[in-house]
Amino acid sequence: MAKQTDIQISICGSAGDGTIAVGDIFKRAMARAGYRVIAFDHYPAEIRGFGKCISRTRISTNQVYSMKSYSDVLVSLNDLHAIPHVGEVRDYGAIIYDSAPMSAVAEGAHISGHLMPGHLPYALPIRELSELATGANRSRNIVALGFIAGLYQLPQQAFHQAIAAKFETKAPAVADTALAAFDSGFKSGSSTYKFDDVQIDHSRARKNGGEVRMMTGNGAIAHGCLEAGIETFFGYPITPATGIMERLAVEMPRRGGRLVQTEDEIAAISATIGAGYAGARAATATSGPGLALMAEMLGLGVMAEVPAVVFVSQRGGPSTGMPTKTEQSDLNLAVWGGHGDARRIVLAPTNVEGCRRCAARAFEMAEKFQVPVIVLIDLYLSNRYETVFLQGEDNFLPKNWQRVGSSSPGDNYRRYELTADGLSPRCVPGEAGGIHTATGLEHDEYGHPNDNPDVHSLMSKKRHEKLHDAMKYPGINFTKRFGDKGKIDVGLLAWGSTFGEALEAVLLAREEGIRCAAMKVVMMSPLPTRPILRFCNDCQQVLVPELNYTGQFANLVAGELGRPVVRVSHATGAPMDINYLLTAIRNAAKKKLRSKTTTSNPAKA
Amino acid sequence: MPSSTHHVVLGNGIAGNHAADVIRKRDPNSRITIISAGALLFYNRYDLPDVFRGRHQWVDYLVHPPEYYESQNITLRRKTRVVELDPQTQTLSLAHRETLHYDKLLIATGGHAYIPARLLDDVGLMHSFHNFRVAMQVQNAVRKNGTVIMLGGDVMGLDLARTIIATGHRVIVALDNRTFWPHEIAQSERARYLQALESMGLDIWDHGKVDHIEAGNSKGPARQVFFEDGSEIRGDVVMPFFGLVPTVDFLATSGIDMERGILVSPQLQTARDNIWAAGDVCQIWSATSNAYRFYYGYRNVKMMGEVAAYNMTGEQSAFESTVDEALEVTSKGLLHSPFWEYD
Repeated sequence: MAKQTDIQISICGSAGDGTIAVGDIFKRAMARAGYRVIAFDHYPAEIRGFGKCISRTRISTNQVYSMKSYSDVLVSLNDLHAIPHVGEVRDYGAIIYDSAPMSAVAEGAHISGHLMPGHLPYALPIRELSELATGANRSRNIVALGFIAGLYQLPQQAFHQAIAAKFETKAPAVADTALAAFDSGFKSGSSTYKFDDVQIDHSRARKNGGEVRMMTGNGAIAHGCLEAGIETFFGYPITPATGIMERLAVEMPRRGGRLVQTEDEIAAISATIGAGYAGARAATATSGPGLALMAEMLGLGVMAEVPAVVFVSQRGGPSTGMPTKTEQSDLNLAVWGGHGDARRIVLAPTNVEGCRRCAARAFEMAEKFQVPVIVLIDLYLSNRYETVFLQGEDNFLPKNWQRVGSSSPGDNYRRYELTADGLSPRCVPGEAGGIHTATGLEHDEYGHPNDNPDVHSLMSKKRHEKLHDAMKYPGINFTKRFGDKGKIDVGLLAWGSTFGEALEAVLLAREEGIRCAAMKVVMMSPLPTRPILRFCNDCQQVLVPELNYTGQFANLVAGELGRPVVRVSHATGAPMDINYLLTAIRNAAKKKLRSKTTTSNPAKA
Repeated sequence: MPSSTHHVVLGNGIAGNHAADVIRKRDPNSRITIISAGALLFYNRYDLPDVFRGRHQWVDYLVHPPEYYESQNITLRRKTRVVELDPQTQTLSLAHRETLHYDKLLIATGGHAYIPARLLDDVGLMHSFHNFRVAMQVQNAVRKNGTVIMLGGDVMGLDLARTIIATGHRVIVALDNRTFWPHEIAQSERARYLQALESMGLDIWDHGKVDHIEAGNSKGPARQVFFEDGSEIRGDVVMPFFGLVPTVDFLATSGIDMERGILVSPQLQTARDNIWAAGDVCQIWSATSNAYRFYYGYRNVKMMGEVAAYNMTGEQSAFESTVDEALEVTSKGLLHSPFWEYD
């Protein structure tokens, strides 16, 4: 029986080599050919120059959850950048490189001198093939892509279509040149004897069933916004969130929406809250530094009970930090950031499809619970490509808030009425019978400023307790357990982009016989403590992996549950390493074994 | 004692790898680099006929696993071709435009199939058998119970023929004056050896020189061989076995003394400092023959690698062959060459 396909290809070059562009074509071609795709690009903060770019793409026939910790194939478009990554390639995997570089290289500067004995080298005259096919060496990247397709017998047509789509806005000669370069590489790859054991079985690729799209996390968020009927967006560009605004800037005007690039993040959140107050579905997007600037206005949104959606994509910090590297270090800011007891809803999707769903539901939840909702992702998820299978099962709700109801002009309309569930009848300016005051000052049920101790106490309770029902909101799994059921040795409690790596590590650990499971937590505020506690009680040890130094989610869980957890923090700017997690699981399982031995023999204790 | 000596071995065959192994034992801290034109780790080419017995994974032919190179701290540079040697600066120029410095160099690049000039135009229609990839191509090209045409019929070809016949195929040997190479057979003995070939199951085709080769049609065998006398034979593949020529093209400007191969002393040293040669690439001075001569076969080649390694690490040993080079006809009437023996 044919094996399932599950390989990861890395293409490494210098800025300007077309590394990211060719990786983009590869992933889109493979998605067209019916594979599941997860891809993540590494690129420098500098716009152009000498920085390193890596495009990694994992293709599979089965569901996978993250990038692999190793690659099966590495393509070098720049040896100096690629040499440090040679060790990422597994034994009997392939390394493809240029055997005819333009200029002389110093001793030790060619990648052929750095291959491990288990690697299979493919020395390809990439530059020469490019020149022969196109008259220039600029298409080295496409030649290398063609070689991969030819070597592994990938469907040529899918690549032709992806190349044509990539260059459809350019002059026809651009696509023709790229196709010529691709075919040159394809011919070379097809005639090359394949020594490596990288297997891609095209017969197992997906043939049909639902609409397949390639999306990044940012793209999925934009998609979710549009599905939810977003009406206004105010934003200020910042890596890695800018992609959301870029996509919406194209799509919203076509649908009658309005998008404004504001002068800064304070203006963006202010306008978003203003639009929400006026009844529009409104959102903004930013990163950690922008969220810090928005903190004051988020307090107004909470106090005035105005719906607003804020998409936050985290990057390495603090300050300007590492704008093009990933981190999960803005959780504290998202959950607690700001003045006063300004509780808000914070959702943290764990994959690209989740980004779409959370984005759309965020609008519904903001309106339902009359509060700002933060959707928290990170650069790894923002820029990660995945195939998304749209089956049409999601039915996002149109605007539908609790209106003034029977109130009519002259009635005593209480915008902040104290109700059993804490949700008050909302209205928008101009609505008959809806005259009220909306203020940042503490207020009574009418909105009139009031700092009476009882009023502040009751209103604080209202603003917090109305969010309890958010944990029951339909359409999103706020927590979900994967892996072994019942009592287990090791449990991983993971959030955001790290969950994929956590689940892959758990699946590997289970293959080693370790009883373990992973729980993803999507709602960070309010924290769904009951299912989390149930999970923790099943675990001998609970590991909390996350991409920050202090263990912000671990602290949140330990604080709310009063239960110790093990921090598996990793602050390198790169996604979580599956092997690092697997080692942590093995070590935790061993500890559990030792503790069992000790318990069973009290004399030794 | 720590050593910063960089030993570079050109060639990933028996001589080169055995030399690297011995150098590592004698100089544990030196730097060793093996340069190979091929893609694979060192594997036993003597086993390649086994592709006809269903051994189709190259990993099964490896002499050492990948971990060996790491544990021995030997760098193996594959798909790397040397285009020039400069003994003055002790540098090698590699085809990908990198230069590599050596302190001591062993040239063990072996040989490649000799193709008579009259057949050069037909090279594309012939199959060689010098590495795993082409061995697999041959195996794939030969149909079940199909026919292999061997031109010449040197001892490497005859060794392969034994396996091809044993696996149910037919082998036709088109005789040539290089049949049995490198053994030299007296004319008076030739008939006896040819009879031995027939006893082994080979078909003999003694029609003089090949005129040309053509691709067959899609229905029949893939190749047709036409002889100068107007005769023709058909088979699935045509394989040239006219003996070896040393692989020394990259030495053209090096100033190293060469005849057909690299001329070396009994200590396997070339006329240039810090350069030795071993294996099928070199001609060793023989006081007995009063000439430079080649020594073939696994045992000779391995011994050369060992002697060169000793001398590169401070000894002054002389190579002496212990191999009886006579081609035998066994009591069962079959051929046996000492060059078929390996361990």
